[in-house]
This record gives sequence, C-alpha cells and structure tokens, in this order.
Amino acid sequence: MDLFVQPLLRSLETGSVYALAALGIVIVWRTSLVMHFAQGSMGMFSGTAVAFVLNHWGLPLWQAVLCGVVVAVLCGFLVDFAIIRRLKRATSVGKEIITLGLIMVFLGLAPIIFGTDPMLVPKAIPSGDVSLAGANISYNGIFNILLGIAIAVGLYFVLQKTKIGLAVRATASNEPTARLMGIPTRTVTLFAWAAAGVLGMLAAVMIAPTTTVTPVFMNAVQVSALFACVLGGFQTFYGPVFAAYIIAIASNFLKLHVSSVWGDQIMFGLILLFLLIRPNGLVGKTFVAKV
Amino acid sequence: MSIFTRIIKNPHLQFLAFGVLLCLLPTVGKSMGMKSSTLQTLGFMLIFSIVALGLNLLLGYSGLISLGSAGFMGLGAYLASYVQDDLNLGFWVAILLAVVLPTLIGLVVGVISLRIHSIYLAIATLCISEILLKTFEQLDWFTHGTAGKQSKYPIIFGVQTDRTLVFILIVVCLVIVMMLTYNMVHGQMGRALHAMRSSEVAARAMGVNVLKYKLFAFSIATLYAGLAGSLYLFFLKSSYPTTWNMFMSLNIIAMVVVGGLRSIYGTIAGAFVIWAVPELVLKKLPVIGDVSGLPYIFSGVLIIVVIMFFPQGIKGLADIAVRGVRRLFPRKDQANVANKENQEVMA
Repeated sequence: MDLFVQPLLRSLETGSVYALAALGIVIVWRTSLVMHFAQGSMGMFSGTAVAFVLNHWGLPLWQAVLCGVVVAVLCGFLVDFAIIRRLKRATSVGKEIITLGLIMVFLGLAPIIFGTDPMLVPKAIPSGDVSLAGANISYNGIFNILLGIAIAVGLYFVLQKTKIGLAVRATASNEPTARLMGIPTRTVTLFAWAAAGVLGMLAAVMIAPTTTVTPVFMNAVQVSALFACVLGGFQTFYGPVFAAYIIAIASNFLKLHVSSVWGDQIMFGLILLFLLIRPNGLVGKTFVAKV
Repeated sequence: MSIFTRIIKNPHLQFLAFGVLLCLLPTVGKSMGMKSSTLQTLGFMLIFSIVALGLNLLLGYSGLISLGSAGFMGLGAYLASYVQDDLNLGFWVAILLAVVLPTLIGLVVGVISLRIHSIYLAIATLCISEILLKTFEQLDWFTHGTAGKQSKYPIIFGVQTDRTLVFILIVVCLVIVMMLTYNMVHGQMGRALHAMRSSEVAARAMGVNVLKYKLFAFSIATLYAGLAGSLYLFFLKSSYPTTWNMFMSLNIIAMVVVGGLRSIYGTIAGAFVIWAVPELVLKKLPVIGDVSGLPYIFSGVLIIVVIMFFPQGIKGLADIAVRGVRRLFPRKDQANVANKENQEVMA
C-alpha cells in the first residue's frame, strides 16, 4: 500500500468536511461577531434529521438532504431571530456563552426528536473506486473532495463578485456603517446563520457514512473546524479552508508516520505552538484594540 | 454595631457556619431518611462548586472562558489515583500533586494563549482538553484506558475514611476555597481584576500588569479544578475517560453563568441548579423524566435565558428579592436615618 498518495487522498476527504464546517464558523463570526461554538452541534442536529428521513421515511438521499437543508435553514433563522439579534447589548463573552448553551440545547434535542437509536447514512455514490497514482479512492471520496472544493470556491466567488457578497463583506467590515449605507445587515446576518447551518449539515452528511449517527458523531468535526478557524485566522474566508485541509493532512500523516497513539496530541500541540509564533493565523491581520 | 451583628456579618464566620451545616447533612439526613444517592449527588454538587468558583474568578473578573475545566479535573483525578493506588504514597502527596501539576500545565497554556488574544484562551483550553482526553484513553499504565481506573477511599491521619468522611473532606475543601476566593477578590488582586474588567486599557494605564493578573486568575481556576478532580476520585472511587469530556466543562460554565458572575454563594446555588436539580427533581418527573437529553436542554436553555434576561443570574434575583423584602419591612434604624434626612432636607 502506498504511504503517501493514499493517506493524502483520505485527508483531502476529511479536510473537505472540516473546511465546510469552518466556513460556517467564519461566516457567522464575520457578520455577527459571535464565535460559533455550536456549528458542529447544529450540523449534527440537521444531519440527524437527514438520517431520520432516510431511515424512517425511506426517501432517497437527495430528497433527504433537501429536508436537511430546510431544517438547517430553519434552525439558523430561529437562532439568529430569537437569540442573537436580541443580544446587541450583551458582551462578546456573553455571546460566546450563548453558543456554548446552544451546543447543549441541540445535543439534548436530537435524541428527543429523532429517537435514541443510532442510524446509518449511505454514501452519496454507493460503490466503485478508481486507482490514482497507485492509490485507491472511491467515487464517493472523489465526490466529497470535489464537493468541498466546489462549495468553497463557489462561496468565494459569491462573496467577491456578487452584490450579495458585497453586502456580506460590508457587514463584516463595519456593521453600523453598512446599515447607514442601506445594506439590510439584519437580513445578511440572518442568512449568514442559515448558510452556516447548511454548511454544517453538508459536513455532517459527508462524514456520516464513516460512522453511525449519534448525538456525538460531529464532535471531532466541531473541534477541528474551530481549530481550522484559529489556524487560518478569522480575517479571511479562504484562510480557514486552507487550514482545514492542513489539519486533516497533518493529523493523518502524524498518525501514520510518527505515532498512531500520539498523532492527534502532537498536532494539537503544534497548533498551540503555531499560534504563539503567528497569533493571527496563517493569513490573518493584526487586531487593533481601540480605546 | 454590636459584637453579635459583627460576628454574624463576618464573611469568614459565615463560610464556616455554612460548612458546619453541610457537615451535619449526612447524619441529620440519615435520620430524616435521606437516600444515600441524594448524598452522592450533593457531594458531586459541592465538588463542582469548587471548580465553578475557580472558573467564576476567571470568567467573572477577567471575562475569559475556559473550556478545559473537565480536562484539568480529569488530570487531577488520575494523578491522585496514580499516586495513591499505584505508588502508595498516601493521601497528602496525592492531593498535593493533583493540585500542583494541573496548575503548572495551566500556567504554560495561559502564557501561550493570553499573550496572543483573549478569545484564544477558549480555543487553547479546548485544545488542551482534547489532548488530555485522548491521553486518558490511551495512556494505559496511568489511566487503565477506557476500562476505567478503580480507586479506594483514602486514609487520612491514619483514619480509614468512608463516604461520609470524604463528604466532610469535600466540605472542608470547599470552605477553604470559599475563604481563599473571598480574600483574593477583596484584596489587591480583586481591585486589579475589577479595574481590568471595566477597561483593560485604563487598568494598564494605571499600572496594572494585565497579563500577570489574567494568568493568576487562570492558574487559580486550574488549581481548583485539579483539587476538585482529586476529590471527585476519592468520592466516587473510580474514573473513566468519558467523564471528562467537553460537556462537563460546559456544565461548569453553566453553573457560573446561572449562579451569577462574581458571587461565591451564587456559584454554589448555580451548581445546585445545574447538577442537583436534574438529578433529584427532573429525573423523577412523570413522562419527561425518562428523556435522555433533558438535563442538557435544561442547562442549555438556562444559560441562554440567563444571559438574555437576567445577566446577574440567581445572585441578581436574590438581590432583588432581598431589596423587596427590605422595602416591605424597613428596619427601625434605617427608617430613623431616613426620617432624620428628610427632616434635614425640610429644614
């Protein structure tokens, strides 16, 4: 078995999952200045909805994913509309704690609504694999990698080239000024939360075939996505995406070539060290605290 | 002020009285027919109060979130068990190491993350927590992996303890921690932390070494977590890696937030609401009592509601209640003072 291409392909697959989840965190951070700790949990919730529709209603995967989109958008709307929007006076720490509370709410809700039995989600492309430079990768793996990259690139173009993207970037750079210029910043924020929810749901559906759907199946994604945001810096949308792939690749190669037991711990330690050297991430600019 | 009111008003004596009341709980409770599982729940509640007091110092005064409380608690628990059961060095060495080593690790993490930017402390502590959790699962000679580490009640001053005595040990530790916290908050450090809380830049301009005090608050939080972890082990006599996950850290944050920031009794009340109420009340409710996710929803919703509507938590509600009672029954001396003031104004 090849020791370079094979793990690289597999890391790209998990990297795509981390990248989608991380994109959601960054979109929320840029538009509403909230550190979205609950990204993974909300993804877990709508991902579990997808699994529920698949297993109990017997719909095909694409219809189930559409249902998941609806659930994710509704959750995003609800969280922004009912909670985040009413927090204008709360401190930034208060907002962070709110998203920590959301983790627990969604974690508790999932088994109540969708039952406690673990469920399975099939792959988007059930079978078949190709040989690539001496390594095997399934069609589904290629599909996941391409989907992750396509969504990241697509989002980049929407943000940089369209009017909607301009509104998002304006809100991100200065919310009061953007509102004065006539940008509906509340709607932008509302849709940012919905977009984050959909991205989290997609990440959940992509990672689900490798495991069983339980309330904790997104924990690794949740943690890795947060680290990707810190590593990539919160100032750009592409930084966290790169960082997500780097984290996935580093994790796999450290486990394979250094130590299968200590791989993850070494990687987390390296992230901490990296932060010490470049506090604002790979492509970050410095924060300036004004009095 | 008479001597009597001075004694009643002395916070340290209040803490002691609170401790004595808690110590009476096992014997009185037994005669009243309290179940031993209730005592267990209350014991854990007091242990979590210790961690939450540390986190309250960090969150309430420096506005920093630590997601690593559970990880540091776990480290304390495993260290205590390793020293007591595998090395046979006895209770005192065990509790000392369980306190010192997490604090040292906390200091290193604090130096790294606080130098950069405050929001990174949450992520850095999450990072450390993940490292510790994975280590607990895999470091077999130290933790016995997922099979769980079994321990026994400690021997203190040559006395073999049992569950009641460990409960009293927890109460003693809690009272010491309460007094320590009170002294810190009301001393020079407390004033520096207060100054930092309203404006970090202003505090720095006044000559407060912001990094030093943040680091101090964070290391106190890890110290309390290590202590609480070792007490947890002595009380339960076992430890499993899955116990020390992020949800325990979230629960501890919930205790601080719900109880009320910067309040000692509030924190304990928060621990009671978040830990004891689901165990003692919610589980016994008909129909919804069996639902597995209920305690999570309970804590999560409470966090959100408290931040949105009652930022002062239980402590704030208690203050409002006390003020209301005072207004209904104004005390004589206060009423006299008020009358005198009125007369002076009239004159």
